[in-house]
This record gives sequence, C-alpha cells and structure tokens, in this order.
Amino acid sequence: MPVMRRRVFPILHVLGMIVMVFGLSMLAPLLLAELTRDGAQRAYDLAAPITIGSGLVLWLGGRHWRRELKTRDGILLVVLTWTLLPAFATLPLLLHMPGLGVADAYFEAMSGLTATGATVLSGLDDLPPSINLWRAQLHWLGGLGIIVLVTAVLPLLGVGGRQMFKSETPTPMKDTKLTPRMAETAKGLWLVYVMLTSVCITVLWVLGMSFFDAVVHAFSIMGLGGFSSHDASMGYFDSIPLEIAVAVFALLAGINFATHFAALRGRRWGVYRHDPEIRWYLSFVLLSGLALALLLWQRDVFLDLSDALRYTLFNTISVATTLGFATTDYGQWPFFAGLWLMFLCSFSTSAGSTGGGIKMMRAILLFKQVYRELERLVHPDARIPMRLGREVVPNKIVYAVLAFMFIYVASIVTLSFALSFTGLDVLTSFSAVVGCINNTGPGLGQVGPATTYAVLTDFQAWVCSFAMLLGRLELFTLLVVLTPAFWRR
Amino acid sequence: MRARPATGRLFPLLHVLGMILGVFGLTMLLPLAISEFTDDAAQRAYDVAVLATLAAGLALWLAGRHRRQELRAWDGILLVVLTWLLTPLFAALPLLIYLPGLSFTDAYFETMSGLTTTGATVLTGLDKLPASIHIWRAQLHWLGGLGVIVLVVAVLPLLGVGGRQMFRAETPGPMKDDKLTPRMAETAKGLWKVYSLLTLACIGLYWAFGMTPADAVVHAFSVMGLGGFSSHDASFGYFRSLPLELITVVFAAIAGLNFSLHFLALRGRSLAPYRTDPEIRWYFLFLLGSCLGLGLLLWLLGIYTSLPQALRDASFSVVSMATTLGLATADFGQWPTFMGLWLLFLCSFTTSAGSTGGGIKMLRAVLLYKQVHRELMRLLHPRAEIPVRLGSRTVPDKILYAVLAFFFVYVASIVALSFLLSLSGLDILTAFSAVVVTLNNTGPGLGRVGPSTTFAGLTDFQTWLCTFSMLLGRLELFTLLVVLTPVFWRR
Repeated sequence: MPVMRRRVFPILHVLGMIVMVFGLSMLAPLLLAELTRDGAQRAYDLAAPITIGSGLVLWLGGRHWRRELKTRDGILLVVLTWTLLPAFATLPLLLHMPGLGVADAYFEAMSGLTATGATVLSGLDDLPPSINLWRAQLHWLGGLGIIVLVTAVLPLLGVGGRQMFKSETPTPMKDTKLTPRMAETAKGLWLVYVMLTSVCITVLWVLGMSFFDAVVHAFSIMGLGGFSSHDASMGYFDSIPLEIAVAVFALLAGINFATHFAALRGRRWGVYRHDPEIRWYLSFVLLSGLALALLLWQRDVFLDLSDALRYTLFNTISVATTLGFATTDYGQWPFFAGLWLMFLCSFSTSAGSTGGGIKMMRAILLFKQVYRELERLVHPDARIPMRLGREVVPNKIVYAVLAFMFIYVASIVTLSFALSFTGLDVLTSFSAVVGCINNTGPGLGQVGPATTYAVLTDFQAWVCSFAMLLGRLELFTLLVVLTPAFWRR
Repeated sequence: MRARPATGRLFPLLHVLGMILGVFGLTMLLPLAISEFTDDAAQRAYDVAVLATLAAGLALWLAGRHRRQELRAWDGILLVVLTWLLTPLFAALPLLIYLPGLSFTDAYFETMSGLTTTGATVLTGLDKLPASIHIWRAQLHWLGGLGVIVLVVAVLPLLGVGGRQMFRAETPGPMKDDKLTPRMAETAKGLWKVYSLLTLACIGLYWAFGMTPADAVVHAFSVMGLGGFSSHDASFGYFRSLPLELITVVFAAIAGLNFSLHFLALRGRSLAPYRTDPEIRWYFLFLLGSCLGLGLLLWLLGIYTSLPQALRDASFSVVSMATTLGLATADFGQWPTFMGLWLLFLCSFTTSAGSTGGGIKMLRAVLLYKQVHRELMRLLHPRAEIPVRLGSRTVPDKILYAVLAFFFVYVASIVALSFLLSLSGLDILTAFSAVVVTLNNTGPGLGRVGPSTTFAGLTDFQTWLCTFSMLLGRLELFTLLVVLTPVFWRR
C-alpha cells in the first residue's frame, strides 16, 4: 500500500533499533531471575530473544527505505514506540502469569512505560523479584523516554509548550533534524537522570530498604511512576525517614530536568530561582499539603497533628507529582480532599520533568491569558504582551495552550463517559480517567489507593490504556495520527 | 481623561437603573391584579412589593438625573451586573411576605433562579400555592428571557463578549459602537415582538389542548424563557398529556434558537435564515441524536418496556435539558447515571447564542472544535495559514482567543464551585450536577437536586454558591468577573 510505504516504512529502521535496545534491557531482569532462581527465568528466556529478534528484523528490513526523518515521521515514530514497546513488555508478564489476559497485561505494561503506576496486579509481595524489577524498570525507561520526548522531539513538533525556552530559533519548524546540539542536550539530561537515580537508590538503601527494594522504588520515583514491590505501596515500610526521602526525590523529579542540568553543570543554584514554574509548583503542592493536613486534623480524620502532617504531606506530594505511592487510604478521606489531590495532579509538575498532567507552565499561561482577556474588556485597544519570567510568550503558543486545554477537558469528558456507559460508577470512572490521563496511578472509588484497577472489564482496561497513552503523548501527538490529513500527501 | 473615583462611575447608571426598577415594579401589577381578582391571601404581599420597588426606582432615577451622561462600555457592564443583582432582591419581596417561613437566602435563590431563567426551586407544595404567586415566578422567567435577548443582542457585543458580535452587520470592532444606536433599539424591539408572538401562540395552544388559562400562561412563560418553573410539584409530568408535551418540545426547541433568525424569517417570510445559520445543524443533530439514542437505550436496557414510551420520555427530557428549560416528565435521576450525565453535558453547549437558553452556546462549541482541528492541522503544516470559517465568514483570531479563554474560565468555574460545594459536605454527584445546572441556567440536576426533588436540601452557604453560579452563568462569566477585578475600578 502506497500509504504504508510512504509513512510507515521509512521509520521502521529507527523503530527496530529502539525495539532492539528495549529487548536488551530485558537482560537485567533475566539476570536477576537466573541469580535468584525466582521461577521467572523461562519468561525472559523467551521474551528477550523475541523482542531483540523482532527489533533486528525491523531494523534490517527497514534499512532499505530509510531516509532523513521529517516531522511527521517523528510523530509516527513516537506513537509507534509507545504503542509497540508495551506490547513487547507484556511478554514476560504474560509468559509468567498466563491467567492475566492480554487487556490487563497491556494495561500493566502501558502503565509502566507511561510512568503511570496504576496496577491490575495484587499479591505483589509474592511476585518473583525479577518481575517487580521489570515493572519498575519500565517506569525508569519510560521516564528516560519522556525526557527525550519533551526536550528533543515535541519541540520539533511545536507541541509541549517548552519550545519557547530553546535558545535556538523560536519557530519550532526551523530545526527539522535532530541536531548534534539536541543530542548533546539529551545526553546531558540522561546523565542528570542517572545520577539522581543512583543517589536515590543509595539514600533509600542507607535509610533501611533492602537493596532490591531501593532499586525498584528509586526507578519508580525518578520516573514518577508508582509501581511498588508491595501491595501496601510505601505504607509497607512505615518509616518516616524513608517517606521524607521519597517525597524529596519525587519533588525533584517533578522539576524540569533541564533546570537540574543547568544548575549542576554551572554549579549555579540561582537557576532554580529563575525557573518560572518552580515557585508555583512548590507553593501549590506544599501549601495544599499543609492546608489539607490542618483540615483533616480538624475533622478528626487524624487525631494527632503530627500524624496528619506526615500522612497528608506525603500523599499530597505523591499524587501531585503524579508519582502515585500511597501511605494511607486517602480514598477514605472526605471527598473534597481526594478531589483536590486529583486536581493537583492535573497541572502541578513542570514541563521537562517525568511527571504527567497539563504541566504547570500551561496552567500559568492559561491564567495569564484569562487575566489578559479581562483586561481587554476594560482596555480593548491595548496590546498587552504575555510574559513568562523575562521572556515574552508569542501568541501562537498561547493559542496552542488554550486549544490543548480544550482537548484535555474533552478527552476527560469523553473517556469518563465511555467508562460510565459500560457500568462503572461516576467517581470511579472520572478518577480512573484523571488518574490515567495524568499518568498518576491510583484514583478514587473502586480504583483508589487501597485497591487496584483489577475491577475494570477488558473494554474499560483498554480505555484506560488509551488514556495513559494519550496523556503521556501530550494529546496532540496521538490525536494527529488519527486524522486523515496525517496520512494524506 | 482624568480618572474618576469609584463612586463617580455609579451616578450615571443610577438614572437608568431607576428606570429599570420602575418598569420592573410596574410588571408586579399583573400578579397583583390576579391576586385581587382571585381574592387569594397574597394581595398585601404585592401591595408592599410594588410600592417598595417603585419607590426605590423613583429614588434612584431622581438621584441620578442630574449626573446622567452617555453610557460607555464599562458602564454597561456595571449596569448589567447591578440589574441582575437588584431585580431579584425586589422580586423576592412578594415571596418573603407571603411565605413567612421562607428565609431570605432561599427567597433570593428562587428569584435569581427566576430571573436567570434557571428554574431550580426551593419551594415544595407548589400545587397549593395561589395562582398569583405562580404567575409571578413564571413572569420572572419571561422577563428574564426578555432581558437576555437584549443583553446578548445589544449589550454584550459592545463589550466584545458573547461571540455573536461577528454577525453584526455593523463594524466588526466591538468598541466602535459604544452607544445604543437607534438601529440596536430597532433590533431589540423586533426581537421582543417575536418573543411575545411566540409566547401568545404557546399560551393559545396550551389552553386549546387542555390546560387551565393560568397554567397555560405559567408554562408558556416558563418555556419561552427556557426557565423551568411549574405550578406543580410534579413539573410537567402532572399533565401526562402527549399533545402538551409535544407543544412544549416544539416551543422549547424554537426558544433555543437565535431569536434573530426567527425575526428575520418572519420579517422576510422565508426560511432562508434557518438554512444558512451555522449553529442549527449541530443543534438539531445533537437533539435528535440524543432523543433517539437515549430512547433506544432506555428500552434496550429494560428501564422502559415500551419503546414509544421510552422515546417519549427520552425526547422530552433531552429537549428540556438540552435547551436548558428544565421541565420534567420523568425522573431521569433514576436512569443510569451516564444518561443523566449526558443530559448535563447537552445543557452545557446546545442552545444557540441569541436564544434564551444557557450554557456556553453552540456557537462557541463549534468554534472550539474548529480551533482544535486547526491546531492539529498546524502540527502537520506548521507554516500554513489556516483560517477558521463559520458559514462563509472567516472568524477573526481575536474572537477565537476570547472563546478559548471563555472555555477555560467556564471549566475553572465548574471545578472551583464543585469543590466548594463538596467541601461543605455535598456528595460529588450532587455537587457537580448542582453547579452544572445552575451555571448553565438549566434547573434540575442529579443526586439530591434531581428532578424528583428540589434545592431545598442545601445549606445556606451552598444556596448562596448556587445563586452566584446562576448569576455567573447568565452574565456569560466575563461580564461578572471583570467587575471583580481591580483594573475595572481603576479606569
């Protein structure tokens, strides 16, 4: 088919490489399985070669059609990567747990790679360690992928909202190739990511986790995923020092990695002060945590103020950063508290972090735009520029952000309807969609922090998988592939 | 121009405001006449109310007479806000006097609900209330609908709000005309004529098909203003009459369309305006599709055993909710929740700009959708200049901006108000649906404010929030919000 030849074949080459590398990463849990003899070796023995082999086939086969990648190729590549890799990631899961079913396995894998952290599995404490490592590793790789996506790929496509911060040309389409500079930047960010992960592992280990748990949870935190090796999530450890450490690293991972990179490279801590998102991010999250703690203490949900502060702050930070660990069942808190947490996870994290949601920068731009509209009512002929930090934001970007907001709301409404239509109650439907589209993890109701997403039917699991993908790819990237115009000349 | 102090901006308005109140007080003469005629116990209530309102109107008119000047744009905004704040206040007087157990909070809610043509009520035992009270409540709907038409056609376009200003044949810049031109007065009068004609036709048909004259007037007022007050607790289900339901559906659907269309069609005696209107096809598509869809589903899911009955109830509920009317024949709160949510969804955007309905209006919904489609296309062709068209006209960017920002404020309002209601103890379904139906000026919601009950169960705080929500929605958000910004008062 000419469409296939034109659109799909040229990227198979690169796609094959990605799949191969992904298959190679399966060697880590394979090694662990062999070493600990945990019973899952066979799963990896089959999954790894299949994945690597498929990648090889795609790479070799695609070599014939390769050419310089254009914008549309980039979009399709991104979409196919995030659709295909979870498929391969299901292999170890399905091979080890054949009763899981394709819908649930794909959900789990997608949840891993989009760093969502919603799980359909229970009995995590009894799973072989290699399976838990694989799950957490998906989060970590997903986080890595996100960083590349947001800093290198999406700005090319004029999505992501961060492109105005590039010191390269402001119009997103001038650079249509992956320049050496971009590769440099990506490498630098990966370094920061790896460094922070190592520090996190060490800190968690020193504070009392087993080394294995430290790795699993550090992977989960840095990708802001949420998978744990324990059903009780972080509540399993019941340790204040650990909770503080997790909270700190989660907050760090919710900051733009480019900011970390700039700060570490130049040893200038002032960079953090100049980042326009950080102050709002930290204010919203920390103030919400404090306010909720006081409210919950006042309503006797917690009898002790110190308990209230400990549990509320942790869970607020966890949900707001879209991590998704839990130390208590906040589904039992008064409704508005749970709803506020869902609200926070929709916008708190910064663009360029591994978190989900519409991102703090878009939220800031939206508010500024509304204020500008109100001012226009009073001074209709004034030209009021939009500023973020010291830079002026071009109108084109404000437009895109407003349209993004509309699609975001429309998606939540549509997907909630789809779930509600098939039988889920309103609270569960809505919070499941919000939890998935923001790549947070647990929702409320029947998908709350005390339980799993196992209650979903196959259809509902597919809807949620779609929501996770949609959110991670920042909506437009996925939606444009579904328009006929994309496939036409 | 030197800045005037804040109080300085009020005086030019008082003159006009006084006139408005005066006219409003005069309209109270109708229920007063009925009260005298039927000799119910409410005469005293109207006597006091009429006097108070006329007196207040006179006082304001006199106070402002010497300082009157031409009203500018932002004076118009303040006038609109003050009108919709004060008239419910005076409208509450008859209710407060006649029903001594009614708190001020509830009375103000009721009259705000009347004048914003919402139709949410805190009153029970409607069947026992005298006809004059019912006429008064329904009259608020009718006057409110009148006010909306003037608002949308004449005032809001001046302010660059409302989205319809691009259809004005005058200059496209919203601030070029900042006086009420004779042409605008002409247009307003013409629309009032259409509105009145349709109301009379509706009254006539209701009466011919079996309603008492009082009921016919009450429900016709309610339908044309797309309000929702009824003289019966069971709302329209009281009548159990298919012909009456059909009349309601037809007139509600008509009232949900831009009244300019009706005016142009009647004046030119042609159907052409309807064919070229960009909102109509989506309006009917959503209405018909939802009627059929919900009807079939109700039957397939076994909630109704008879398909005709399912279609009948589904159609009435769909049209009533989508047009933000809010009369009910069936308790859709008992239907599967997603159906109730679909009705709430419809009431958010279905009605046309220039109708008496609420919501963000179909025009904005269409523009939003087209803007998103354009953004998707921009991803593929980043250097292309892709205009957004509506009908045959290109929509200027300025308007698209405003529509997008409007949508954001709309969503933010729903989120914020739902939170506040939830914070004060309401469950999520009730909180959310209460906000949606009041902001969209629809009427009954779901949960504890469903069609089988009233808003009486809300605490005072919650009632005030809903009152605010009704006002916010009717004034199309920005008109009210801008008055709350410091920038407005500095100029």
